[in-house]
Amino acid sequence: MSIRWYEMLRGDALAMVDVAVVGAGQTKYGNHPLGLKGMWAEAAAKAFSSVDGDFQPSLIDEAFIGSLAFGGSQLGNTAALLTEHSDLDGISVRRVENACASSGFAFRDAWMAIKSGQADVVVAGGIEKMNDLTPERRRYWLGVSGDTEWERLAGLTFPGTYALMARRYFHEFDSSHDDLVHVSVKNHLHGSTNPLAHIQKEVSFEKAASGFMVADPLTLYDCCPTSDGASCVVLAADHVAKSLTDTPVWVRGSGAASDHLALHDRPSITQLKATQQAANRAYGMAGVSAGQIDVAEVHDCFTIAEVLATEDLGFAMRGEGGQFAREGRGVLNQGQTTVNCSGGLKAKGHPLGATGTGQVVEVFKQLRGDVEHTRQVRDAEVGLTHNVGGSGATCAVHVFGRDRA
Amino acid sequence: MTAEVWMGYLVDHQPDFTVVQSPFVLEQSRVFGADSDATTLTVAGLLHRLNHEPISSLGVPEGIDADTLAAACNVHVQGEEDEGDPHWDVLLSDEATVVIVRQGAEVELSHFDVEIAVDPEFHTAMEAAWQQELNAAHVSQGAYVSKSQYEEAAKSRLTLEGQHGAKGVVWPPRYSSGQGDDEVKRHLLSPSGTVQSWTTLSAAGAPSEFALRAPLLGGISTVMLELHDGPKGVFLTVDDEEPTLDFGLSMELVLRRIYAQEGFVRYGLKARTIQD
Repeated sequence: MSIRWYEMLRGDALAMVDVAVVGAGQTKYGNHPLGLKGMWAEAAAKAFSSVDGDFQPSLIDEAFIGSLAFGGSQLGNTAALLTEHSDLDGISVRRVENACASSGFAFRDAWMAIKSGQADVVVAGGIEKMNDLTPERRRYWLGVSGDTEWERLAGLTFPGTYALMARRYFHEFDSSHDDLVHVSVKNHLHGSTNPLAHIQKEVSFEKAASGFMVADPLTLYDCCPTSDGASCVVLAADHVAKSLTDTPVWVRGSGAASDHLALHDRPSITQLKATQQAANRAYGMAGVSAGQIDVAEVHDCFTIAEVLATEDLGFAMRGEGGQFAREGRGVLNQGQTTVNCSGGLKAKGHPLGATGTGQVVEVFKQLRGDVEHTRQVRDAEVGLTHNVGGSGATCAVHVFGRDRA
Repeated sequence: MTAEVWMGYLVDHQPDFTVVQSPFVLEQSRVFGADSDATTLTVAGLLHRLNHEPISSLGVPEGIDADTLAAACNVHVQGEEDEGDPHWDVLLSDEATVVIVRQGAEVELSHFDVEIAVDPEFHTAMEAAWQQELNAAHVSQGAYVSKSQYEEAAKSRLTLEGQHGAKGVVWPPRYSSGQGDDEVKRHLLSPSGTVQSWTTLSAAGAPSEFALRAPLLGGISTVMLELHDGPKGVFLTVDDEEPTLDFGLSMELVLRRIYAQEGFVRYGLKARTIQD
């Protein structure tokens, strides 16, 4: 087994530092009335107030904030602009950018900062303001995270890229668009009882199957909405976490990977190698297998993405993601693993930079039994978040547990 | 005369000249197809001619993108700094026709019997859209590919120049060999492949740089091809044909206009069914 980087830096004793999430909060996703500063302040305040013990922002050593800086209104020094609205003056802050996986990686960076021994309490968050743009400007920003020079000149947007994956998936495996409809119906069902979701409305199979065609074969009901939102979590080293809460949620594994930016450069377009590698690393570190995950927040920017993720994360065998959806195995408390009990990106919403830590907010609450009882996963002990950048060029996977190991 | 159809155009190959003509007709006049212009016709004609003999130097008139021509065909386009006359010239006609002629040779213009009627309303609207795009002041909200970025990759974009890598041919080329040495071995890929997947983006969902023309076309279609030499790529389909796409379908790649911004046309390879 290879030696971890932090073991080399600090020695075996310090490699024993464990990291917990002790607080988490987010805004409601959707058309938020506030701008960047107000949304961040709201998410941070919710996160800080969710910490059980006597918590002051002055305890925080570092902050990592994920954002694409959609719209370009605050591309530079985004983090510094935001943190002064959450009483984090003077600390080391920075923006983390990996497209839609920005805050998944911000969370990983925060975890690494504590693991390295350089910090004890760290904030990871994310934010995106997307609905204050004209449709034309929005389409520009929705296309900047692919391989612009090659994919965009071929007319592709992300709906188009994922449509290529979907059509190929149907061709290679026993699957059809109906399987994607099942994903949409499930996530709308879950989102319907999440008060923080962008879309809190169930949708029938018939309606989801006959949506407006966006990028053949993907319809409007296969695509996540364009959302505003912010999310924030507080991580702490084990020796600090104990003083802040009796019910920490432990970060048991962190894995990340990258792949070719352009879809056509990958040997297969029906699996995301970055997800597979990130998951294997996270599972290995956590000492768990896919079958032990009770609750998973996976990156369903498009319904086909959830089908692929259930395979790449090991919840279904290769080629059986469609069947997994068809049989309702990801529906709340219906199978081994509940998938996207928040509503996922499809219904909860997808404020790009906020999504990764927003997923952590959900898993944190699920493992502590803090969500509305209508969507609480029974006996949830182990959770997972899966955050993808673009069409799979970057991916961060984290495994969480009520127990430390 | 009966024409040879080549890359979607009509071609007459003679010992001293090549005539390339658009197959589309409006009110008894030849007109360009929806994503064609004099540059795309000239590139097709040159590639046809180059199958028969080398062209050492070429003179081109205004109205043709000499840089794209040089990159796509690997020919030397005569510039002001060059002395003497070029060995070949490009002549333009009013009617969507281009002639590539040996210096000093006489040309007898061909009359092709292939005519495809175009819808006048569609043609007028498409021309107007291109004119609007070509206005130097027009800057769409599309993902930006600058002129220098476009030109840097022009060779690999227009001629499918790839490189040999550790796992076979790589396209587009990288700035490393992938084999642990500094030597990058180039490889020109064959401009054809088979369909691996495809999609049609609705006009409303098309990238905004296509916003003026996508509604006229009913959306834009993209195919992922596995090129016959190995690598995969994504390409728009040509605008003036409606192929019935299927897995494994063979398609060829031809030069067409992609979009214009800041008064400058971005050209690229588009896919069309091999049906000639």
